[in-house]
Amino acid sequence: MSRLKAFPRWLMGAGLLLGFDLTGRSLSAAFALPVPGPVLGMLLLLLTLILYGRIPRGLAEVAVQILRLLVLILLPATVGIYFLQQLSIRDWLTLAIAMLVGTLISFTLTALLLQRLLRRAAARRGEAHVE
Amino acid sequence: MWSEWQRWLTQAQQVAGDFFAPLSAAHPLVILPLNAAAFWIGLQLYRRSGSPLLHPVIGASLLVFATLWLLGVNFEGYQRGSGLLYLLLGPAIVALAIPLKQNLAMVRRAGWPLMLGLLVGAILAPLVAVLIAVLLGGSRAVLIALTTKSVTTPVALALAQELHGIQSLAAGVVAFTGVIGAVFGPSILRRLNVTDERVLGFSLGINAHAIGTARALEISALCGAFSALAMGLCGALTALLLPLIVTF
Repeated sequence: MSRLKAFPRWLMGAGLLLGFDLTGRSLSAAFALPVPGPVLGMLLLLLTLILYGRIPRGLAEVAVQILRLLVLILLPATVGIYFLQQLSIRDWLTLAIAMLVGTLISFTLTALLLQRLLRRAAARRGEAHVE
Repeated sequence: MWSEWQRWLTQAQQVAGDFFAPLSAAHPLVILPLNAAAFWIGLQLYRRSGSPLLHPVIGASLLVFATLWLLGVNFEGYQRGSGLLYLLLGPAIVALAIPLKQNLAMVRRAGWPLMLGLLVGAILAPLVAVLIAVLLGGSRAVLIALTTKSVTTPVALALAQELHGIQSLAAGVVAFTGVIGAVFGPSILRRLNVTDERVLGFSLGINAHAIGTARALEISALCGAFSALAMGLCGALTALLLPLIVTF
């Protein structure tokens, strides 16, 4: 019974997601923007939610469900990697090394930078308290 | 203005029409349950093992591939059978706005150090990988695929389309980058004596997107929230900047 009552709410949430998706795509196409349409839709929705001040319940519920299924939704695209034939062995090797080494380096640098920035900000705040 | 809406309708009609096609191994009624079953088994495997190496992305995609090979279905047939899932991709990207909005208060509190870290981190992640690939003499397809390595898959797919890259390669690179970050990231920081969970979460979100965020949530709620936030912001930032840089 409660599901029946929740249905219009969910339908509205799903409609909002689709509406913002298509609006983003239309804007991106109309103005030949380099930003992918759905990403533009996401930013528009974020802006709308900030202005609106809260998240409609149906939208929040539908979003949680769809994000929980994200791996499933992305599965067709992911499976495609096993069917790729236009890359050479050398390309695959390059890709593997760049992914492994590159990710380790950028991860370390990002973390060290962030720690330093946060510490400096905390120290500054600390000084202000002493004064 | 309405052409995108019409295109969506045509696509939806085609997907619906495929359901009435004569039954075959590539029929949506075969492919969709296959996807769902592989996803479910992949999820169970991941939960039982608890290892990021067996993330559902990897387990499920291998299962699907093995089954397709046994059934003798090619990739085009599989893609067509999965049409319904492709229709959900756009709304799923838009849905990322909700966790972003929920975590926005945290950005205000942590302020400029986080934003600066995000900006540098989001540029550094693809840059380092692309530089390595250039040094090794990688082809253009490889370089393009690496530029979206650390953004969450839906955004990476949209970007690959925009940049005329190979979508499947982009998706694969994103999945494996996520696994690398989630497996090695926490132990690297432990070795460097970085104990701040905000730092760990944020680095995981920037470098290992959703897979890193799943790992971060296992460490703590705070770590997970920072990771989810970094993932969303990094995806949005990359989507805005990357097409400009590549076309330039």
